[in-house]
Amino acid sequence: MAIPGYSYEFNHTHLLSIEDLSRLDIDHILDLAEEFAEATRAGKRPEPHLKNMTVINLFFENSTRTMSSFEIAAKRLGADVIAMPVAQSSVKKGETLIDTAMTLNAMAPDAIVIRHSASGGVKLLSRKVDCAVINAGDGTHQHPTQGLLDTLTIRRAKGRIEGLKVTICGDILHSRVARSTTMALHLLGAEVTLCGPATLMPSGADSWGAARALNDFDAAIKDADVVMMLRLQLERMNGAYLPSQREYFRNFGLTADRLKLAAPDATVMHPGPMNRGIEIESAIADGERSVITEQVEMGVAVREAVLKLLSGRRA
Amino acid sequence: MITHIKNARLLCPANGWDETGSLLIEDGQIAAIGKVSGTADETIDAGGLCLAPGLIDLRVKTGEPGAEQKETLATASRAAVAGGVTSMVVMPDTNPVIDDVALVQFITNRGKETSQVRIYPAGALTKGLNGEAMAEIGLMADSGAVLFTNGDRPIADTSVLRRTMAYAASCGALVSSRADDHALAKGGVMNSGALAARMGLSGLPREAEWLGLSRDLLLAEATKCALLIDQVSTARSIDIVKEARARGLKAWVSVAAHHLFFNDLDVGDYLTYCKVNPPFRSEDDRQALIEALAAGEIDAVVSAHDPQPPEEKRLPFAEASFGAAGLETVLSALLALVQDERLSMLDALMPVTASPASIIGLPQGQLVEGAPADLVLFDPEKPWLCVREQLRSRSLNSPFDGRRMVGRVMRTIIAGETVFERKD
Repeated sequence: MAIPGYSYEFNHTHLLSIEDLSRLDIDHILDLAEEFAEATRAGKRPEPHLKNMTVINLFFENSTRTMSSFEIAAKRLGADVIAMPVAQSSVKKGETLIDTAMTLNAMAPDAIVIRHSASGGVKLLSRKVDCAVINAGDGTHQHPTQGLLDTLTIRRAKGRIEGLKVTICGDILHSRVARSTTMALHLLGAEVTLCGPATLMPSGADSWGAARALNDFDAAIKDADVVMMLRLQLERMNGAYLPSQREYFRNFGLTADRLKLAAPDATVMHPGPMNRGIEIESAIADGERSVITEQVEMGVAVREAVLKLLSGRRA
Repeated sequence: MITHIKNARLLCPANGWDETGSLLIEDGQIAAIGKVSGTADETIDAGGLCLAPGLIDLRVKTGEPGAEQKETLATASRAAVAGGVTSMVVMPDTNPVIDDVALVQFITNRGKETSQVRIYPAGALTKGLNGEAMAEIGLMADSGAVLFTNGDRPIADTSVLRRTMAYAASCGALVSSRADDHALAKGGVMNSGALAARMGLSGLPREAEWLGLSRDLLLAEATKCALLIDQVSTARSIDIVKEARARGLKAWVSVAAHHLFFNDLDVGDYLTYCKVNPPFRSEDDRQALIEALAAGEIDAVVSAHDPQPPEEKRLPFAEASFGAAGLETVLSALLALVQDERLSMLDALMPVTASPASIIGLPQGQLVEGAPADLVLFDPEKPWLCVREQLRSRSLNSPFDGRRMVGRVMRTIIAGETVFERKD
């Protein structure tokens, strides 16, 4: 994306939120990620950009998928990866988040990938360390690499982002994915529609860059180029958020019939893990419109790009 | 001992005074005001600075007893005098909770022994603040508790509150309650709204304050209980109070000084020093509180001083404790509004002097002959930078940290004796 006469530099130390990125930053990350993705498809190993570097995966919340994705990305680039799931760390012994950060910092890693259950928790940690910090999900705030991988998947499927109609449906209130993906897509010029039951739609969701927030899925999905379904946490059923799974599926589940309302070539996405038959029909999830497995593939590529750009940077 | 303070801008909101003159203190009391004559043991030239009654703060938390690492009565008193506060009501949210006569006496005695400022204990409305069993309101009132409150744990059970209010009314006791709907506010950490949603933080809805406020006012009306509404934070709360007053209900209402200064945007980057309850609301709400203050609809401005040590604040926002240290910044927060011409000087001082004094029935808070000589001398225009490390509270969790302030306390006098003098 070089423009003659202008130079561009990716000048961030951490990746904490999509809000911190410019459009050029996102294009830059996606271009780089696409190179990694193509190389992997061609059966090539990338250059060991992270050789002799140490990446710590610090996950305060259980996650097999995201942690593995980061681990594979870092290892492909030649890094030494240390996994620190919370169950084995001293956080359970009453050590504070900041003490953990300072302890790990003293071990001089080149990057720390963090997932934490509290919104803003990763940012708090990033203030106390000297190395690059990559947010792998903080509470219901942000999950920036997910936002980037969704954007890259769409860009590859559609050849562009600008002007696309993207509908994101599900538990918007508790979804850090919805926040990150909406912001990234909006920055690149997509028209995002958020959809979900009123109990799971926060006030001011349109301020994230979404064109509208609706409670009617049939209206929200109309003419959509991309339909992204969010995972419904089953514990929401126990509270007063929703009456039942079957009522949710009827109003907000993605079925073949409903997909007919979208654009004829609409792409179907889901950040995983899926609840088949609750938010999405199996036939759709596995159908030819679905790019759900490509999302996983792009996840590794985006994380390779982010790790290459940030590892070794000093705050 | 006779002290003569001359060349002062004498400010007394109680009788609408704002004129240059002298004040004579004899035996800890104000002996004469205006043009005074005679000899004095000590003469203080105020140099034209403002001389007002010392501030009366109706809502202060300390950690004594039980959490002295946060604050003691002595350390809070150090912060208080530097902020011009000469009398303070201390909340019962301690460990043990101030819910019986011996503990009320303990606070009173510890205050006399260790604190420079006058300490007035508030008693718990329910035992252990459990919201279930009524505390000994009558006995505590007789031992000197000036008001009764469930502090930061407003009573959730409406029938308990009703009975407690009815009982307090029969004892002639003042009840103070923070307006809150427990179930609706549960789990919230900042003002509900677009910003909380964007930050992924659960909200404290305005509706919770309105519901709690309506409930408390209706019960006060039904039980004829004297009610001080603790720290309203929204525009509509003012309307709800006005409507109740129009029906003839006598209820007082307080606002925390920090709510006149900050809005929810100040939470910004998950700043836990800005995590307070009620939370900082929108700019419209802040403006409405200032307008209500200018219109005389707010009876007390409080510091809502709530010291929290670093281990309670250096946490992810949702996990950090609520509370802000505020004793040293109340007067400056008000003087900023005077400087901006949002309030007259007397309107700014009224809710921290004469008005709170009348709510709890204290003789101080006014410049009249025979009143206790509790005074603050301040420079209304002196700029200063609030740096938390320079604050005198044992806990330094001030949202004003790093802010440019205007108006500074230069000298504080209690019972005729200078207890604080700024040298810089």
